[in-house]
Amino acid sequence: MKGHAAKARQFLSDNERADWQDKALWAVRQKRDVAAGSVREWEQLREQASQIKENVLSNLDNYLLQFEQAAIQNGVQVCWAEDDRQFNETILRIIRDHQAQKIVKSKSMLTEECGLNHFLEKEGIEVVDTDLGERIIQFRNEPPSHIVLPAIHLKREEVGELFHEKLHTEKGNSDPTYLTAAARVHLREKFLEADIAITGVNFAVAESGTVVVCTNEGNADMGVHAAPVQIHCMGIEKIIPRTEDLGVFTRLLARSATGQAVTTYTSHYRKPKPGGQMYIVIVDNGRSEHLGLSAHRNSLKCIRCGACMNTCPVYRRSGGYSYGSVIPGPIGSILAPVKQMKDKQDLTFASSLCGSCSNVCPVKVDIHSQLYKWRQEISEKNLFPKAKSYSLSIVGKVLGSNGMYNFSGKAARWALKNMPRRLIYNKLNTWGWGRELPEVPEMSFKEWYKKNGNERKRQ
Amino acid sequence: MNGKDNKQNTEMGSRQTIIERIRQNKPETKPLPGSFTGNQEPVSKEQLSVCFRESLIKAGAEIAEPDGNEGLEPYKEKHFPEAVDLTDTAVRKKYSSEISKKELEKTGTVIIEGQFGVAENGAIWLDETNFPNRLLPFIAERLIILLNKENIVSNMHGAYRKIDLRNTGFGVFISGPSKTADIEQSLVYGAHGAKRLTIVLFD
Repeated sequence: MKGHAAKARQFLSDNERADWQDKALWAVRQKRDVAAGSVREWEQLREQASQIKENVLSNLDNYLLQFEQAAIQNGVQVCWAEDDRQFNETILRIIRDHQAQKIVKSKSMLTEECGLNHFLEKEGIEVVDTDLGERIIQFRNEPPSHIVLPAIHLKREEVGELFHEKLHTEKGNSDPTYLTAAARVHLREKFLEADIAITGVNFAVAESGTVVVCTNEGNADMGVHAAPVQIHCMGIEKIIPRTEDLGVFTRLLARSATGQAVTTYTSHYRKPKPGGQMYIVIVDNGRSEHLGLSAHRNSLKCIRCGACMNTCPVYRRSGGYSYGSVIPGPIGSILAPVKQMKDKQDLTFASSLCGSCSNVCPVKVDIHSQLYKWRQEISEKNLFPKAKSYSLSIVGKVLGSNGMYNFSGKAARWALKNMPRRLIYNKLNTWGWGRELPEVPEMSFKEWYKKNGNERKRQ
Repeated sequence: MNGKDNKQNTEMGSRQTIIERIRQNKPETKPLPGSFTGNQEPVSKEQLSVCFRESLIKAGAEIAEPDGNEGLEPYKEKHFPEAVDLTDTAVRKKYSSEISKKELEKTGTVIIEGQFGVAENGAIWLDETNFPNRLLPFIAERLIILLNKENIVSNMHGAYRKIDLRNTGFGVFISGPSKTADIEQSLVYGAHGAKRLTIVLFD
C-alpha cells in the first residue's frame, strides 16, 4: 500500500488541479477567519467548548446512560454497537424488521468509518446518499475527500459529465445551478419513496435524549420526516450534557466549518413522528479504548468541522485521498494511528507541525502536539520503516555531537557548492525530490560568530 | 431462543461492555463549566433588529414588512393568496400528520409562524406547535415565516435559554433557504428544502 508521500506526489503531478484545490480550501479558511473574527468572545467560546468536552470524556459512561434513559422515555429505541461489524448488523436487523428496501442517508462520517453502504449493498439493499456532494461521489464510487466538503476535489465539468451519464442532464452543461436542480428532482423521488432514513449526529444532549443534526441542504430533514422509520447513528463521544451547551457548539461549528454564522437547518430530533419509529444507535468502534490513551484522548473532543483540513498546508497540497483514511487531514492523522499505529505511522509526518490546525480548532484539540507525540511513540516502539529509523539514528548522532555537527555542516556546504547537481538531487535524497536546497553561505553561523563576535569585542 | 433475540441480547451485552470499558479508561473527573457568560453588554432592540436583518440577508433570506396601516391578514392575502397558511386552524387540520406524501409534494408556498429569531445568525426557531406535519417546512417550495418584531434574541445562548427541549418532539432553527456549495464551491439555493425563504416581520 502506498503511503501518504507517494500519493501526495501523485496528486501534485497535476499541478494545475493541485493549485486549484489549494486555493479553494484556502478560500474556505479565509471565510472561517471572517466569521470567527466577528464574534468578540470567540476565544472564550473555544475554551468553554473544550472544557465541556473534557468534562464529557471524564463522565462519559454516566452521560450515555442518562441519554439512553431520556431517549427511551421519549419513545426512542436505543441500540448499542461495540464495533463496525455489530453496527452494520444492527442497521441490517432494523431494516429487516421493517421489511424495508429503500434507504436514504444524510451525511455521517461514522457510517463511512464502518463501511455501512458497502455492507448493505452486499445484502441487496439500496442506500442513497442525499447530501449533494455525497451523492456525487457515490455515483463515482469514491469515498469523501473531505469531511464537510466531500466532493471538493471535483470540477464542475466532471460533475456535469457524471450527471449527464447518471441523471441524463444535457451534455456539456456544467452550470452548478442547473446540476443542483437536476439532483433536487432526482433525490426528491428518493426521499419520498424511502422506507428508512439514516442520519449521523452532530450533538446528543444527555439531559433530554435529543439528537441534533446540522445541514445546509435540508437533506436530513427531508429524509427523516418523509420516511416512516428514522435511524440516527452516533459515536459515543457526541454527547453533550445540557441544552444550553448547544448554544456554545452551534456558534462554533458552522463558523469553523464554512464560515457561515450557522447552518441553514439545525434540527432537534427528540421523539418519533406520530405513527413513526425512531432509533438511535450508539457506536463505540474503538473509542472507549482510545479514551484510555491518556496522551491522545484529547482528539475525542473533535466535532468534525474540518477547519484543520482547510488550513493545513499539507492537506491543501496533497488532497484528501493521499491520507488513505476515512478522516483525512491533521485530525485524521492523529485518529488513524489509534487503531493502526504501524500502518498509519507515516500520516504523523504529513504535517509541517506549523500549528495552524491547533489554532483554528474550535474545541482546542492540540493537534500538532499530538502529531509530535505520535512520532515519538512510534519511534520508541520501533515502528518506522527501516530507512527512516536508520537515517534518523544518524541524524540523532550527528546532532548530538559537537564535532560531528561542525564537520557535517562544513562538508555539506562544500558538497552543495562543488558536487554535480545529479549527485545531490539523487534518488536517496527524498527531501530533495520536491524541494530546492538553499543557497550555500560561505560559513556557518558558528564560524561567522567566532570571526565577527571577536572583532566586535576588539572594538 | 431464535436468532433475533440472540442478536438483541448481544447488543445488551455490548452496552455493558462499552460502559465498563469507558469506566476503566476515562480520566479523573473534570468539572462541567457553568453557563457561558461571554459578552454581557446590553443591546438595544434597534441594534438587535438591524443585526437580525443583516444576518438574514447574508443567509439568502428575504425580508418583508407590512406597513403600519396594513394588517397582517390582508398582507398575507394580497401577497401570498395561494399559500398554505398554517396559522389557520382549518388548514392545520387538513395538513395533519395523516396527509399523504403525494399531497404534500404539491405544496407550493407555506406560511408558518416562527417563535423567535436570533440576531447573530438569522436563525428562527420553530417546533411542532408551529406545524401540523414535520415534513411541511422542508418540502414546501417556498417558505414564509411570520415573526413578531419583538421576538428577537441576541445570540444562541439566549435562544437556548428560551427553549425547553423536553417540551417538543421535534424543533428546528431555520436560517435561510436550503442551499449547497457542493459543486465547485458555487452557492446554489434550493438544494432539497425551500428554494425561497421570506420573513414577514410584524408588530
